[in-house]
Amino acid sequence: MIEVIELTKKFKEVTAVDNISFKVDAGEIVGLLGENGAGKTTTLRMISTMLKPTSGTVKVCGLDLLKEPDKVRKKIGILFGGEVGLYDRLTARENIKYFADLGGLSSEEANKNIELLAEMLDMKEYIDRRVGKFSRGMKQKVAIARAIVHNPDVMLFDEPTIGLDISSSAIVQDFILDCKKKGRAIIFSSHSMREVEKLCDRVVIIHKGRLVYDGRIEDLRRDYNGEDLEKVFLRLVGDKNE
Amino acid sequence: MNSLWSIVFKKELKDLFRDRKTVIMSVILPLVLFPLLFGLIGKGVKSTTEKVTKEVKIAYIGGESSFKKFLSSVPNIKIVETNDYQEQVKKGSLYLAVVVEEDFDTKLAQDEMSDIKIIYDSESTNSQTALDVVEDIISTYKDEVVKRRLEARGIDVSILKPIDVKNEPINKEKSSEGALILTMLLPLYLIIYAITGPMAAAVDLGAGEKERGTLEPLLTTQASRMQLLFGKLFAITVMGIIGTTSSLTGLYIAFKYSMDFMGDVGLNISIGSLLLIGITAIILNMIFAAVELAVSIYARSFKEAQTYLSPVTIIGMIVAYGTYMMDVKSASTIMFNIPLANISLIIKEFVIGVYNPVHIAITFVWAFVYIIAAILFARYMFSKEEVVFRT
Repeated sequence: MIEVIELTKKFKEVTAVDNISFKVDAGEIVGLLGENGAGKTTTLRMISTMLKPTSGTVKVCGLDLLKEPDKVRKKIGILFGGEVGLYDRLTARENIKYFADLGGLSSEEANKNIELLAEMLDMKEYIDRRVGKFSRGMKQKVAIARAIVHNPDVMLFDEPTIGLDISSSAIVQDFILDCKKKGRAIIFSSHSMREVEKLCDRVVIIHKGRLVYDGRIEDLRRDYNGEDLEKVFLRLVGDKNE
Repeated sequence: MNSLWSIVFKKELKDLFRDRKTVIMSVILPLVLFPLLFGLIGKGVKSTTEKVTKEVKIAYIGGESSFKKFLSSVPNIKIVETNDYQEQVKKGSLYLAVVVEEDFDTKLAQDEMSDIKIIYDSESTNSQTALDVVEDIISTYKDEVVKRRLEARGIDVSILKPIDVKNEPINKEKSSEGALILTMLLPLYLIIYAITGPMAAAVDLGAGEKERGTLEPLLTTQASRMQLLFGKLFAITVMGIIGTTSSLTGLYIAFKYSMDFMGDVGLNISIGSLLLIGITAIILNMIFAAVELAVSIYARSFKEAQTYLSPVTIIGMIVAYGTYMMDVKSASTIMFNIPLANISLIIKEFVIGVYNPVHIAITFVWAFVYIIAAILFARYMFSKEEVVFRT
């Protein structure tokens, strides 16, 4: 479903992403693991068409993002960590509806999806209130609804639980697992091996823009004789540091 | 289905109008600021003048004289007997002191020149107002003395007035006086409002979007960057036009109801002129909306956007003030090629009812060029990865 092909991004002198290739299938969660500045966000921004690759490309559901960026955008939903990025003066419904409209949904479709999402995420009570005064957890749900209101086949998560408390993190993690159940292809970036271990089927580890590991978590564990994965990660990254 | 830019446009306007700060700053404040300011100033001036002229408290220093009698005969003059007049004038309990020579009357009788000294406080408005009143009285008294002296010699007073000047304006309508003021003020105000009106919205819709973290999800929707840009640009322009309209309305109310001490400046502009001035104002707002949006997209945060936008304001104001005194009737066609100055001049022409097709064509073609250039600048900013992800 997602096919990253020799993807490279240079910012002036710096090569942020260096010739990375990997695949994600439908119903699979792939963890994109790396330290801060490893190139995770840049990779996800390229897949979501926000940044243009210097070379290489990505195919999303068979669509080449260099040739058909509009169609690619229709297929993907993003949930980025840090600021939830909502319009405080709009209600939850208006926030979601705005993105549904911009996603090209008809009004009926948008309204139907919003009702379903409100039900699913238990937001009915406050969906018509302005989000400015929402708690972090409530905002997180609105951001989730906004990310999938257009029914994307592919979901990109960029450190979505960063700065969240336990209950808000749980909302996000449940949502990711739910996406998997619905057969979406998922890339989940994180710098925490623990989170990746919990959610992901496969892991792609990048360091300084380069791919250092691509494989199943069980294989990784087996290759390193059942060693703690956090240590394995440090060793993989550490090797390259030398 | 709605086109995507109009979805952005509608959402932005809804969002902006829900922001109390934006509504207050761009709609309500301009509407009430001038009436309030002019009203207060007018009221202040009026009450000070009234208070002082009702009873002008002054000291008279010197012996009995015909001038003292004349002074006392003026109803609103109150002469206070005192010796420490210097101190009292300084304190403000007396507005001023008139010091007259002891041999005042003798000198007058002998056709000599007499001195009157007025001690007043140059830092007090009350004292200044009283000075005007007393100078008027002295002037009247002087005229009488001159008249008496001439009559004693058998000469008619009219000899002192060999020329009688009568000014007759070529434009007989009452509007000419008001039009002159308007040719100076209207371009100035329209340019300044076109800069300040869209600013709050431009900051919010560019840098604000970055700061809130809403820009990234927005960029992954079906809307292209140009559609986002146009939706935002039109919303900002609308806010600018609303700002200009409410500022001008406020100004109009201020002139109409508060400035009664300035006298009536009659004014009638034709509907055609008003329409053309309106179109010019919209163009001005579009130009600045695009420039401000471009700068705002470049900025990392609200604060940075505000910092970057202050030079834009200053440059605009310099040009606006530069054309403030420019006489439209002697402006050459070449002048209509200077950015902003041409817009200022064309507004001046519209105010006095001049519709020069060449000037209009040159100015509007240039205005179109400015708008395109400003939009291209904004598009450049919006399409540059380093700018959009500069956080």
